[in-house]
Amino acid sequence: MTLQRTAPPRPSWRDRVRDPGWGLIFVLPMLVLFVIFRFVPSLGALGMSFTDYRLSGDFSFVGAENYRRLIEDDLFFDSLRVTLLYALMYVPLTLVVSLGTATMLHHVVRGRGLFRGLLFLPYVTSFVMAGIIWIWIYDSNGLVNGVLDRFGLGPAPFLTGNQAMVLGSLAVVSVWKSFGYSMLILLAGLKNIPEDVMEAATLDGAGAWAKFRRITLPLLRPVIFFVLVIETIVAFQVFDTIYVMTGGGPARASYGLVYMLYDQGFKFFDFGYAATIGVMLFLVVLVISLVQRYVLDRENT
Amino acid sequence: MTTLTAPPAPAATSSAATGRRRRRRSGANVWLTVLLILASVFTVVPFVAVFVLAITPEGAQTIPQRLPDEVTLDNLSAVLSASSFLRWTLNSFVYSIVSVVVILLTAAMAGYAFARKRFPGSNALMWSFLATLMVPAQATLIPMFVLVSRMEGVNTFWGLIVPTLANSQAVFLMRQFIKGLPDDLFDAAKIDGAGEWTVFWRLVLPLTKPVLATLGIFVFLWHWNDFLWPLVIAQTDEMRTLTVGLSTLNAETVARARIMASAAISVIPCLVIFGVLQRYLVNSIATTGLKG
Repeated sequence: MTLQRTAPPRPSWRDRVRDPGWGLIFVLPMLVLFVIFRFVPSLGALGMSFTDYRLSGDFSFVGAENYRRLIEDDLFFDSLRVTLLYALMYVPLTLVVSLGTATMLHHVVRGRGLFRGLLFLPYVTSFVMAGIIWIWIYDSNGLVNGVLDRFGLGPAPFLTGNQAMVLGSLAVVSVWKSFGYSMLILLAGLKNIPEDVMEAATLDGAGAWAKFRRITLPLLRPVIFFVLVIETIVAFQVFDTIYVMTGGGPARASYGLVYMLYDQGFKFFDFGYAATIGVMLFLVVLVISLVQRYVLDRENT
Repeated sequence: MTTLTAPPAPAATSSAATGRRRRRRSGANVWLTVLLILASVFTVVPFVAVFVLAITPEGAQTIPQRLPDEVTLDNLSAVLSASSFLRWTLNSFVYSIVSVVVILLTAAMAGYAFARKRFPGSNALMWSFLATLMVPAQATLIPMFVLVSRMEGVNTFWGLIVPTLANSQAVFLMRQFIKGLPDDLFDAAKIDGAGEWTVFWRLVLPLTKPVLATLGIFVFLWHWNDFLWPLVIAQTDEMRTLTVGLSTLNAETVARARIMASAAISVIPCLVIFGVLQRYLVNSIATTGLKG
């Protein structure tokens, strides 16, 4: 149809020669990169999980040995528990902070651009940088304990205390560094809520809280759900802050899944086993994504 | 046609009611502003702290509630004169800038092909690119490392850079944008007898400038802030990037003022990007959903 409309001039021999191939030529550089550095390693992870691949490059196939070892490894289940616990702290906290700040930004009259910028600022730094600053903030001579000291409290062992405290402290660092992203996504969602719905509710005498609960939250649900899924996946990949701030400690209190993968791979050079942990990480992320799919499909029908 | 557009302005809500509402709103606004200031303190104070600690003499510090009595540039100059710090900075720049250039070019090419060309398997290929989004980078860390080390890429720039260039988010973003460009432009170019490369260089690249700029900022930040891949692939001191170098300083418990001075310097490029392109960055997250 379009061919008739645009009526190209008679196809020359060059057109006939070049047309079929050009798409492939343009896609070729990226395709080569993808094949070598995405497709091969993805299959490679699966393949390696059935071997005892060592640093030397020697390996033999061991069947499901790595998987058997994994289900008998307390360390693995502990790391899974650590990651889950961390996610249970990080995800709600980051949602509350980003939804709260997004709502405030949406309603504030003056200085919205300035506040939006200041709140988004930490997003442009690295987790390594965030970790280094927050080590000092959490230090017994640091910022928070300095303030606590003024009130005769403390020093609180943020990074050396019990597991809940350490994981909570790590979660706060990640929230600080990255809530700006979810805040902006939610802010865009808030802007899409029709103004007249709110006006009507106001005329009906609805208070701010009622409007938030009865109108904003329901209309924002898809966006909130998107943020929840993204942040949950991010939470399961936590590594940088743990590496910089606690090294998995104290006493493996923050020994998360990716940290275990790194530890097995690059401290014990047990590549086959580490690859198996990678496969597990993939499965966890896959399940989260499938749940997202399922819920979204159900909402749409 | 016009019946569906712009409803007339709501007729005369009583002015007294509006006034009351406005007054109540301004009361709420004070609270909103106060809360937002508190939230901004939460996000900004750590940055201020880094820069304050960076100019505080070693040992004189850690009374956090007041500024140092004495200010020094010793920490900063000590960091800058230590040869490895400058080398790490250079490495980070190479890692980030080469990645930006190559990803923008290859993703624009691939995006153009997926948006405007039909070739055998083009759909399947697009989907297989997208499917890799489901595989977290950490899950393939071990096979990637083995692959690159078998290709003798450990402690080399290409080993650091090339494996990170396969970026499906970039391809997908370019494809969406190029798909949205008007067909007439491409038809006109064809009628004028423009060759494929001419169309790409003279039409696609100039027209996609805004999205290329957005993508460029993100790719720069992703690579500048990247940690796990450089950590495993750059094992010698002179191949380290800034993030990896900072983490080793931190692990070696170098004097705190030194670490903070290093951190302060390393965050400057990001702050510059942020200062100059903040509005741009902020708007593009809302519209494209790019995630770091």
